Amino acid sequence: MTTILFYLFSALLLGAALFVVLNRNPIYSVVGLVFAFMNLAAMYFLLEAYFIGVLQVLVYAGAIMVLFLFVVMLLNVQPDRPHPGLIHPDRWWFGIMALIFVSLFLLLIGQGVRALLTSPAEDAAGMGSVADVGEALFTSFLLPFEIASLLLTVALIGTVFLAKKKV
Amino acid sequence: MVVPLYHILAFAGLLFTIGVVGVLFRRNAIIVFMSVEIMLNAVNLAFVAFSRYHGNVNGQVFVFFIMTLAAAEVAVGLAIIVSLFRNLRTSDISEIRLMKH
Amino acid sequence: MSNIQSLTYFLPELILTSSAMVIILTDVFFRGRNRNRLIWLLSLVALGIAAIFLLLQTTPPDAIFYGALAVDPYSRFFKWIFLLATVVIYVVSPYSRELDNNPRHEYYLFMLLVVFGLFLMASALDLIIVYLSIEIVSIGSFVLAGFLKQERLSNESSLKYVIYGALSSGVMLYGLSLLFGIAGSTNVFDIQAALSGVPDKAHLTLAVALLLVLTGFGYKIAMVPFHFWTPDVYQGAPTTITAYLSVAPKAAGFALALRILGITFGSSPDMNLGEWLPVEGLPFGTLIAIFSAATMTVGNIIAIQQSSVKRLLAYSSIAHAGYMLMAAAILNAQAVSAIMFYLAVYLFMNLGAFLVAIFIHNRYGYDEIEEWKGLGFQAPAVAVAMGIFLFSLTGLPPTAGFVGKVYLFSVLIEAQQFWWLAVLGVLNSVVSLYYYMRILKAMFLDSEPTGERISGHPALSGTILLLMIPVLLFGVYWSPLMNLVRSSLEFFSPGM
Repeated sequence: MTTILFYLFSALLLGAALFVVLNRNPIYSVVGLVFAFMNLAAMYFLLEAYFIGVLQVLVYAGAIMVLFLFVVMLLNVQPDRPHPGLIHPDRWWFGIMALIFVSLFLLLIGQGVRALLTSPAEDAAGMGSVADVGEALFTSFLLPFEIASLLLTVALIGTVFLAKKKV
Repeated sequence: MVVPLYHILAFAGLLFTIGVVGVLFRRNAIIVFMSVEIMLNAVNLAFVAFSRYHGNVNGQVFVFFIMTLAAAEVAVGLAIIVSLFRNLRTSDISEIRLMKH
Repeated sequence: MSNIQSLTYFLPELILTSSAMVIILTDVFFRGRNRNRLIWLLSLVALGIAAIFLLLQTTPPDAIFYGALAVDPYSRFFKWIFLLATVVIYVVSPYSRELDNNPRHEYYLFMLLVVFGLFLMASALDLIIVYLSIEIVSIGSFVLAGFLKQERLSNESSLKYVIYGALSSGVMLYGLSLLFGIAGSTNVFDIQAALSGVPDKAHLTLAVALLLVLTGFGYKIAMVPFHFWTPDVYQGAPTTITAYLSVAPKAAGFALALRILGITFGSSPDMNLGEWLPVEGLPFGTLIAIFSAATMTVGNIIAIQQSSVKRLLAYSSIAHAGYMLMAAAILNAQAVSAIMFYLAVYLFMNLGAFLVAIFIHNRYGYDEIEEWKGLGFQAPAVAVAMGIFLFSLTGLPPTAGFVGKVYLFSVLIEAQQFWWLAVLGVLNSVVSLYYYMRILKAMFLDSEPTGERISGHPALSGTILLLMIPVLLFGVYWSPLMNLVRSSLEFFSPGM
């Protein structure tokens, strides 16, 4: 049952992502991306990464996408013109090459992964609760945690600096 | 695992490619940033899958940091777009041709 | 080592961050008219104290914060380079007319935080730190590049920088995820251990992972073909920032790349340089050699076409990364020391050249080479200094640039590999002679001597002359620097 659900969510995710990338109207893309993130959160829950799943909803779907929507509304972004809107006709060959390259790429990675990773850990279940991640974050990964807070400070001040009108 | 590791990685790879295509081919800067977010989410998925496979939580910790960083990057990027828009009144990056090459 | 114990080894960085906090508070609460000056002074004091603590750090190589960061002579050497570059830019920034209408206090703050990020890049031993440090430097640079908000050019360059930066770091992250997937840990030494036991079928995966990670590093170093952000960013950013970006993050990128790649793909965790690339099916040395050739050539070819001094210097800095990559193709101890030596020398000559450009721009708003005519007579001291910097950048004796290039070439010669690359390097140097000398010619030979002397603020001209000294000194007596480099070749490894 969970397997079927997982494949379902993955399919919806990929579909939504394609929608986001190919759609002409930015507002539709934003909403599509929110939908994609929700599917991804569901997948995280199925993988028992509960903390990350909740963060996905709170941070990505909740904060980042709201920011996107806000900016789209603020700038009153119009849908792209039909032509040349999305992909230039003479860029199709590029897209095909990209597709070939990507399949090769996936094949290469897949080969290696199949060869290497054949034995999942026995006690893989249950690692992903808030307690588990929290313990790691505040002991072995405390330094990155603090660095991340500095990074946010830089971004915060930078954002305000760049976006405000008065010099 | 719910689904074989290889399948999850395939999904992540496909998602990543969709994101890359979006960054390279779309002209609207906001869509480009959204495509970057798709890329980062693909990487997150890969990390969570690997983390589950190895049975330790390090991958998920990395995902935590990637999310933090994605938020920061998006904020700065959108601020620049807003600032640019104020000067140019467009968010179409192919109309940005001031730079001589 | 536990977190509390690690703090004593982390003092320079702590000084940087706490002063950043102090500056933020000062910015909020201090309303006097000299606010910019005060913050400038505070930052300089902070850099000075950090330097003192760095000097006092004489402990043997060790890892702190549960193996996330290394404290060793290698990272200390690079931290000195960062501090030096930052101090130089700080000293001249108040006197750069370009920045006049902008709130400089934020400028100083961001540079301080970027320096912190650079410090982390030089000491990173964990993939998470690798990623976070690169991003702190990147985000800080995004903002600094877009500092001249009212200029469209600056806005555009900042946007392109963000897009390329996000794309490159996203690609690098994918590679990092593969490395984590194979090893189950984000620590570089664990990854090295896991990689040495990799079955043959997975070598292609490793190769892909390596390429992806290289994309991220290449973006920071501005290696071709990951250099596409540099023209726009270097042109649109204020010249002080361009100067800084062309030196400090590039050096940090090299520090990080050499260490991470050297450990991860080496045959033993000792960073036993010279015995690596167990990734069969991917001739790593040849790959780097090709990148080096491309970077040198592309940088020089485009630089020839430039008529603006700022863009010319920016493109030529890409070429210099290419020269350093020549040595990276071999990556033994001699190569790393050559790269470190060249980075130190490069700091002096590149910053010096950019400072002269700022000097001229201040006075005249000139940037085109044609408009530099006759400067030899109008500002003789500065023009002579520029001449020396240009000679050094080309790699002519008796300047430090020549010595640095000789070291880089000798790596290839003594390893007896990649002869074609060495030849290409020499050819490229000759090409660079052409465009560097165009500036020199305009300054001294194409003169319409109007006779008026120009002078800039003494801090600016003083710094230019000060930078000239090491360029000349290390051209004839370079053993102190080389000894410093050689003694810094100690890296932390888990056996210690």
